[in-house]
Amino acid sequence: MPEPIPAALVVDALKDVFLEARGGRPCAPLGWVLSVPDTHQRTVLAALDGERAIRVVTCATEDEAVAVAAGLWIGGEPSVLMIQHAGLYASVNALRGVGLDGRVPLVYLIGLLGREPDRDPRASRHSMVRYCEPLLETFGVPAARLEGPADLPRIAEYFRLAHARRGPVALLVGLPTC
Amino acid sequence: MLKPEAVLRAIAAVRGDAVCVPTMTTAPAWREIAPGDLSVACVGFMGGASALGLGLALACPERRVLVFDGDGSLLMQLGSLATIAAAAPRNLTHFVFKNGVYHTSGGQEIPGGLRVDFVAMARGAGYRDACAIADLDELRRRLSALLSAEGPILVELLTGLAETTPMTAGLGAPFHEQAEALRRRLAAARAEAVAR
Repeated sequence: MPEPIPAALVVDALKDVFLEARGGRPCAPLGWVLSVPDTHQRTVLAALDGERAIRVVTCATEDEAVAVAAGLWIGGEPSVLMIQHAGLYASVNALRGVGLDGRVPLVYLIGLLGREPDRDPRASRHSMVRYCEPLLETFGVPAARLEGPADLPRIAEYFRLAHARRGPVALLVGLPTC
Repeated sequence: MLKPEAVLRAIAAVRGDAVCVPTMTTAPAWREIAPGDLSVACVGFMGGASALGLGLALACPERRVLVFDGDGSLLMQLGSLATIAAAAPRNLTHFVFKNGVYHTSGGQEIPGGLRVDFVAMARGAGYRDACAIADLDELRRRLSALLSAEGPILVELLTGLAETTPMTAGLGAPFHEQAEALRRRLAAARAEAVAR
């Protein structure tokens, strides 16, 4: 069964990832979170409000968030995107044009709002949950589930993967963070 | 009414080391005017130039970033006006080439045509400043200030149609090649600055 991940642990994981991306050299900000607010990750976003090491840019759409991430990457700045599954569906052209054809490392943290704890997401009653992994597979986007605190090392692992393969990766947040 | 190519030449003459983000009909002309320099065209994701420029501006606060947007393109991600205003990059000048049509796809009128007021929209979103220019001499007079004043600034340029479009002149280098080239140049410039 999945279990909620404490927001503070996610924030710490992001800091570690950004610091590693900078070769261990601290700077301000360490990295960027591009967010179209996600119900599932709201405690993380709340925790980031008081976090000076990570700058959050709230975007009006996921398309924008992807393009901002591209600009940051070109300029040498690390970022992750925090969105909801519906936002992934809304921004498929940006995923294709920027992440796949554009070969920009994009690290998505995607909240699976509506995911039932006792069901595999692919068997969810909710189409937005059910189609998320198949959509990512269709586009060849590596994805992993964040189902509890034990999965947090996957953030760093997939961040490295995105930059190594120059493309998008996705981490699916199964339950609301706490 | 301005000729897009004349506008781009005027900007090229004074932009210094600014990073430039052309899109759609400004992209082929900019390739000719400023080949192989600090630019990356928004190719393959129409509407993304403003947000791409925002990311570059946040990543490179020491450098000016100029976006050469289209009116139809900006309408595709109009919310980016609010996103840019909220992020408040001081180094961003956002030019909107307003010709009232989707030139690249055959000249269909954009919603609202030339009545769309991007200056009012930018001000309403919270840009630090916004203005409209329809005369080349006025643009030349004001350009230095528009490229150095605290941003974000939006400049609506009332233009005719460009001589070429990506459909007639080609897309140029793919986005990933342009992005990688610019990334390397910016990294080299940062390394040089640290060494100094």
